[in-house]
Amino acid sequence: MFAPYRRWAAPRHLRRGQWVGLLFVAPAVILFAVFGVYVVVYGFLLSFARWNGFSPDWTWVGVENYIALLGGNPAVSPKVAQATVNTLVGMLVLPIVVLVLGLALALLVNSVRRLRGLIRTVYFIPFVTTGIAVYYAWRFMYQPDGAVNAVLRALGLHSLAPVDGFLGNTTTALAAVIAVQVWSNVPIAMLLFLTGLQTIPDGVIEAARVDGASTVRTIWTIIVPLLNPVTALVVVIMLREALQNYQLYLLMTNGGPVNASNTLGLQSYSFAFGSITDLGFSSALGWLLAAVAIILAIVNLRVLRSRQ
Amino acid sequence: MTTTQLPHSIRSGKPSTAERNAVKRASLRVIIIVLLLIYAVVSVFPFFIMLGGALKTNQQVLTNPFPFSSPPTIQTLIDTFEALNVPLLLFNSAVIAVGSCLVILIVFPLAGYAFALLQFPLKRTLFAILVGALFVPGVTVLLPLVILDQELGLNGTPLAVIFPVACGAGPIAIVLMRSYYASVPYEVHEAAVLDGCSEIGIFWRVYFPLSRAALVTITILNFVAAWNEYVLPTLTNDDPTKFPLPVGLQSLLSSNVVQWNQVMAAALIIVIPITVLFIGLQRFFINGLQGSVKG
Repeated sequence: MFAPYRRWAAPRHLRRGQWVGLLFVAPAVILFAVFGVYVVVYGFLLSFARWNGFSPDWTWVGVENYIALLGGNPAVSPKVAQATVNTLVGMLVLPIVVLVLGLALALLVNSVRRLRGLIRTVYFIPFVTTGIAVYYAWRFMYQPDGAVNAVLRALGLHSLAPVDGFLGNTTTALAAVIAVQVWSNVPIAMLLFLTGLQTIPDGVIEAARVDGASTVRTIWTIIVPLLNPVTALVVVIMLREALQNYQLYLLMTNGGPVNASNTLGLQSYSFAFGSITDLGFSSALGWLLAAVAIILAIVNLRVLRSRQ
Repeated sequence: MTTTQLPHSIRSGKPSTAERNAVKRASLRVIIIVLLLIYAVVSVFPFFIMLGGALKTNQQVLTNPFPFSSPPTIQTLIDTFEALNVPLLLFNSAVIAVGSCLVILIVFPLAGYAFALLQFPLKRTLFAILVGALFVPGVTVLLPLVILDQELGLNGTPLAVIFPVACGAGPIAIVLMRSYYASVPYEVHEAAVLDGCSEIGIFWRVYFPLSRAALVTITILNFVAAWNEYVLPTLTNDDPTKFPLPVGLQSLLSSNVVQWNQVMAAALIIVIPITVLFIGLQRFFINGLQGSVKG
């Protein structure tokens, strides 16, 4: 009767109104042309110039900003190097911890029937509310006499409770901020895994159980491989989060103490709005970040496609 | 152990395999519930901290970090309302959040519908550009945005935040709406066309109401993002009467001695509206998010 619906081709009779489609996307295109394309072009051009934000003219310097950031300028490259290391730590730790916790919680939630909805709602609250208010609650909890230290001391773990608070010293600041990031991102991974679990037919798991496979084995050899597409999606989202979320770092530590929790995104922000500004550096660093994000996205899409 | 039969062990003196399995299953059940409860506490602990801190005096909050461990006082909430002009901050935040949601709900469902169901020139190119923007980090375009807002004369108005926030929500909103509209059986569209409905009529009378779950999802995601937006309002606005809540909250931390009880009270005021919104709409929200992943 009807031709099978394909993703991009609409049936022939629809072509009557080719311009209708353009009218429908026009508002989005206009919004993007002004607040998307314009700022992208502006920022890209600025990355090849030096500008302090006040003088009327830019000084064109070619790729000098990029070279300076990648090691050519002793005044900025050590800072950038430290921020790179911190960002890489986040890009490694965040996806792994969020994957493990998200999958474990999804399996646990999936195994109970009563109260499942309530548990799912409670677990999801950190993701929905994440932002300045939650960050400040964590800052308060991380204070030298805050709740986290108090819990550790109550458990007898005095040596693990830093005297100057988790955000106040260089050894724990980065880990403490990443922990908050994990806390606020585990819910979305859990929800995606729950969705994935619901698409696995009961028969598959039942068959494994009949064959005498243990729970652990069933999870590891049957459920985890079937969830591969979800895993890949979670990894993309978490890499993007680790690379791009600078507001968390800005509001929790502002990169301190002494750059211990500085990241590339925050460094780009500081070049533009911090105490010593160089807007060209800010733009160039932003575009290096964008390049990494785009490369990661392409690699991940390739991996996803090759698996299907 | 819910069985009403006489246990096998009493009859034979030895636990059967079935019984051992039942014990094993029951203890596994207990472990699962305990683990679920532990993570539930981890999830909501910061909110208890906010509530507990907001009900304490500054003295109590310094000496005892645990929530609900001192006799509660509402003096802190009163002080915070006085220090911050909370109603005005709430109003400014609501303008930004509602405004950007309106722009998003007008602009992106239309685009998602066109990408799902209509055929037009440059369709794939436009889709690639609009969605590819997802991978440009926010910080990369932040400075040009502030300069653009200034040039357009938007600085100092809520529009300086509303338009960039709406634009930033675009990629995800378009993908979500497109996959939702593509999952509606095509016969629906056929039938509407045969009934002589115009394209805008089909969209407005049939597809838009059908996509309630997806609309709720993008509304909540964006409402929360706009409600929490701190950087853009700070950079585009220096008039304290136009500040939204997150920027107003910042002033509590600028003094030498931070009054954590008041900061927690202000944090609570920020979090309550979005939590209520989420819990009220969560059925649609979670379904919408899950549907978008399956589709």
